[in-house]
Amino acid sequence: MSWRNALRNSFGEQQRFMLLLIAPAVTLLVLFQAVPIFIGGSASFRDWMLTNPKKTWVGLAQYISVLTDPAFLEIVLPNTFLFMFASVTISLAFGMALALALNRPFRAQKVVQTILLLPLMVAPVIAAIMMRWMFNDQFGIVNVVLETLGGEPRAWLVDRWSAFAIIVLTDCWLWIPWFALLLLAGLQSLPKSPFEAAAIDGTTPWRVFRHLTVPMLRPVIIVCIVIRSIDAFRTFDIVWALTGGGPARQTELFSIYAYETAFVFLDFGKGSAAAITGGLIILVVGLLLYRILDHVRKVSL
Amino acid sequence: MINARHRVAASIAGLALLVGGTGGAIAQQKELRIAYQPNPIQDTSIEMMEKWGAKNNIKIVKVPNSYGVYVEKMTASLTSGSDQYDVIWHNDDWGQLWAHLVEPMDDVAGLKYADPWSNDPVIFNNKDGKITVVPMGQTIGALFYRTDLIKPAQLPKTWAELVALSKKLQAEKKVKYGYVGAMAMNTTWFSFFWSMWNNNCDVLLPLFERSNAVLAKNDWKAGLDQPCMRQVAEFWWDALHKDKIVPPGMPSYGRNEANAVFTAGDAAITVADTTYWGEFNNPAKSKAAGKVAIAGFPSGPMSTKPSVVWNEIWGWAIPKSIPAERKALAKKMLSAMMEDKEGQIALWKKTGVPPPNKDLWAEIAKTDPNMREMQKYYLDNPNKVHSAFYFEKWPAVHKAYSDALVKAVTGKREDIPKALAEGAVNVHNAAK
Repeated sequence: MSWRNALRNSFGEQQRFMLLLIAPAVTLLVLFQAVPIFIGGSASFRDWMLTNPKKTWVGLAQYISVLTDPAFLEIVLPNTFLFMFASVTISLAFGMALALALNRPFRAQKVVQTILLLPLMVAPVIAAIMMRWMFNDQFGIVNVVLETLGGEPRAWLVDRWSAFAIIVLTDCWLWIPWFALLLLAGLQSLPKSPFEAAAIDGTTPWRVFRHLTVPMLRPVIIVCIVIRSIDAFRTFDIVWALTGGGPARQTELFSIYAYETAFVFLDFGKGSAAAITGGLIILVVGLLLYRILDHVRKVSL
Repeated sequence: MINARHRVAASIAGLALLVGGTGGAIAQQKELRIAYQPNPIQDTSIEMMEKWGAKNNIKIVKVPNSYGVYVEKMTASLTSGSDQYDVIWHNDDWGQLWAHLVEPMDDVAGLKYADPWSNDPVIFNNKDGKITVVPMGQTIGALFYRTDLIKPAQLPKTWAELVALSKKLQAEKKVKYGYVGAMAMNTTWFSFFWSMWNNNCDVLLPLFERSNAVLAKNDWKAGLDQPCMRQVAEFWWDALHKDKIVPPGMPSYGRNEANAVFTAGDAAITVADTTYWGEFNNPAKSKAAGKVAIAGFPSGPMSTKPSVVWNEIWGWAIPKSIPAERKALAKKMLSAMMEDKEGQIALWKKTGVPPPNKDLWAEIAKTDPNMREMQKYYLDNPNKVHSAFYFEKWPAVHKAYSDALVKAVTGKREDIPKALAEGAVNVHNAAK
């Protein structure tokens, strides 16, 4: 029996048509997602230097090398989680504030909304280069303003925590509009009656926010936090352009570690193992985060 | 209907003839594909190839590649046995990385004009002892100084003199900083490396050794825990925090930031690639234009020879995997480039890069004082060191070194020995 007959016997005409429709997407997914992941997975179990691709099977040696690397455990992972927490928390807080402000009708509301969305249209690497020069100790506008106000100019990118704060600031600048947009959409979809009832009862705005807005908006907030946390975990471009992970690895995140191992040191084996280790970590963290937030939502209902 | 069919048939036949004819014409003209990174040096070098191509009816196809992915992309191309490029940009950093993947060039006649130091077998020879590169131009890191601020007799010969001169110029409000140079990874040459080599110090030991066999025999011992390296770290720590003769942000500076400070007229001395000489002297780009000259490096307290310098090359290589006929053609072209006197003098004039044909240096020097300075301080200087190490772990070693020194100069002064001791272990582990 030919494959055509087998296909005909297994699927009806409508199902075959549906399969035909999704075939291009599946082909692309297999070629550009599944196959690279499979090759990366295979590389992570091999001694695979790009310069000398012996591809000898080494079992879990590359994973052990990553997980016993003090830099990975003591610098890279703590930095990555700190960055994830700081960026998501700050972006959520400011995004919520913006969404609440934009949820009230005012003159030029559309113009303000458009302006607030502009950072979303800037490529992260461009934003990072811009920030690098804004915080330059000799030519940066930040030091100029600081000096005008009587402060001392600083070498912002030389100190670990100020460099880290600039990375977080850049990321927040880029992502606050995204939070604001999604939360605003959520706010506008909430039923009006509970808010009208609260207004008739003379409830304070803070109590309305705490006891009505946040609980009703929780599903949107959870989705925002989970998606953005996963995305923040794999942040690469802004850190690479701003600090390159420096000074002396002090701002190195997981993605920089994996990239440098694979593409600067040309060690595809260890680089792939690092990337897959990070992938597994964020998978577990994402699931845990979703469960915790979902549990909080159910308890509060 | 018949007419329409005839028209279609005639059109198809015509198209086939056209395609066949064009294909024939294309087949007659041979082509060479050049993989390069757009840059004035490479552009000028390729102009020589195009001139040769026009004379010999060979089409030169330029394939630009981004610097950021060049090594990865080219290494992948070479290891996969692809024949997509006939000639590729090569340099000393990748000399041993690619030695087994690129064609021996010992039969290229024009190589006899190359500088023996920068074509050192330890960098570019394959395991059969055959050289694998044809040079494109000399790349040198040089000390640039402001001639309006510093007279030749005042040029610092030692680190102490550099500090004293900087302080004097800063105190007189003639300039904001005495010195500026890139310090962040991958620009270590312009601060840590030059000072290290001028204090009898090196990343790996034995000192100034570049033979991998010797380095391996010495168990890839790092030089970071040596007293000379402590002096290097302390010199830069003092320059940053005590003497304040360099911008405080320098540990995060790459080329762009350091060059911006110098061209803004805010520093009296810098170390940068000689390829920036033109930019430093360009009135449209530099406040220091017309007032910039080169000199040798000041020595540290443990130095035994004056001004240790480096002088390497950018070059061209031919992938092993391309057909023999194209290899032969590419070698003819590269040999002709080495003998293209007019093109090489144009390379010097356009870029400030000494041409790969060393016989032309003296000829250019007859009329050009800049070349005379370049010869005096760099090209003919007997105190040379190779500016990298030539094995596959070098990028990891370089990063470990850079991290250790940046940590040392950005931490507390009393923590410098600890930072260097940790760095010595990291460098050793990265190298072995």
